[in-house]
Amino acid sequence: MTIRPLFAALAVLALAGCAADPAPNEQIRLTEQALEQARAVGANADEVPELKLAEEKFARAKSNMADESYKKARMRAEQAELDARLAEAKVLTLKSQEQLNVLDTRIKRLHKQLREDAQ
Amino acid sequence: MKHSHVLGGLLLVGLSGLYGCAGQRSEVALEQAGASFQKVKEDANVLRAAPKDVIRAGESLARADRLSTYWGSGEDVQHYAYLSQRYSEIAREHSNQVLNEERAAKLELERQRLQLALRESKLLSVQQQGKWLEEQIMAMATTQTDRGLVMTLGDVLFDTGEAELKNSANRVVLKIVQFLQLNPKRVVRIEGYTDSTGGKQENLKLSRDRAQAVADVLVDLGIDEKRIQVEGYGDEYPVDVNATERGRAQNRRVEIVFSDEKGQLGAAR
Repeated sequence: MTIRPLFAALAVLALAGCAADPAPNEQIRLTEQALEQARAVGANADEVPELKLAEEKFARAKSNMADESYKKARMRAEQAELDARLAEAKVLTLKSQEQLNVLDTRIKRLHKQLREDAQ
Repeated sequence: MKHSHVLGGLLLVGLSGLYGCAGQRSEVALEQAGASFQKVKEDANVLRAAPKDVIRAGESLARADRLSTYWGSGEDVQHYAYLSQRYSEIAREHSNQVLNEERAAKLELERQRLQLALRESKLLSVQQQGKWLEEQIMAMATTQTDRGLVMTLGDVLFDTGEAELKNSANRVVLKIVQFLQLNPKRVVRIEGYTDSTGGKQENLKLSRDRAQAVADVLVDLGIDEKRIQVEGYGDEYPVDVNATERGRAQNRRVEIVFSDEKGQLGAAR
């Protein structure tokens, strides 16, 4: 009498496990791509904490894949993808800011030169 | 039977305790993600620069919200709240980048306008300075040395102890610009030198600052800074004795070393 509900519960759990979570191969590929792209624009884990986070989560996602814990693998890979994309976006924003600073300096210098030349 | 009741009861208490914690945490995450989404959604710049990311932030948030009505879904709620939060942050970054780029495009136009104005003003001043300057230029020898073609800018083009170029340098600067524009593959190394008066460190700094000042003007007049190297040598490599005033004046100079037509520049000293 006490054993039957236990079986039922186990069966439900097992079903839930199977039905909801196939191996997230496509997500793993997407995350890998996002990581590559972030590194391609010059992000590195020492300077951009989001990339470090992405790399750590992706490593854990891959070990989840090996254990066939597909739900965990998918979640971690999804988070890692967005961490990597945020890292990429931050680096690009920083670069555009640096470009602005260079232009600002040059324009200040030109104004100064023009003032001096007018004297 | 009795045992299993107690056990079941404990298990239930334990589970609801766990759920309570996870539930609270997921609620906080959900609230934060909601606040972030609200901010990007209301920002016209973000909407314009990254509409897709804003939409995804909204979709993930809605999913987290829906899941939060199910019992035991704390982990999933946190997950989708996290994704939504990230999409909002990505959208914000994209928007900052686009705004920076738009501003840079405007500044670039401004820079080109100023560059032209400066060129015109220098041409004008050269015409006004006329004959006197002609002689100055003649005094500035361009010589072929084993380091390549070298042009020497004399001490008269700078105020004593200062790094700024005087207006009287305009003509020679324009000449160099013209030469570099006619020879787009050539690059230059601008080398600063001082006499032996004053400390080593100050001399090194002054020589480098003077060389940099020349480089800055060339860049301001449209020469790509990738074509320009800058070195300061302080009181090293004198071309005359430091014992006489005349000799010291000779030693205070900026030399411009030109590469050959292919852009090959001799090694720095």
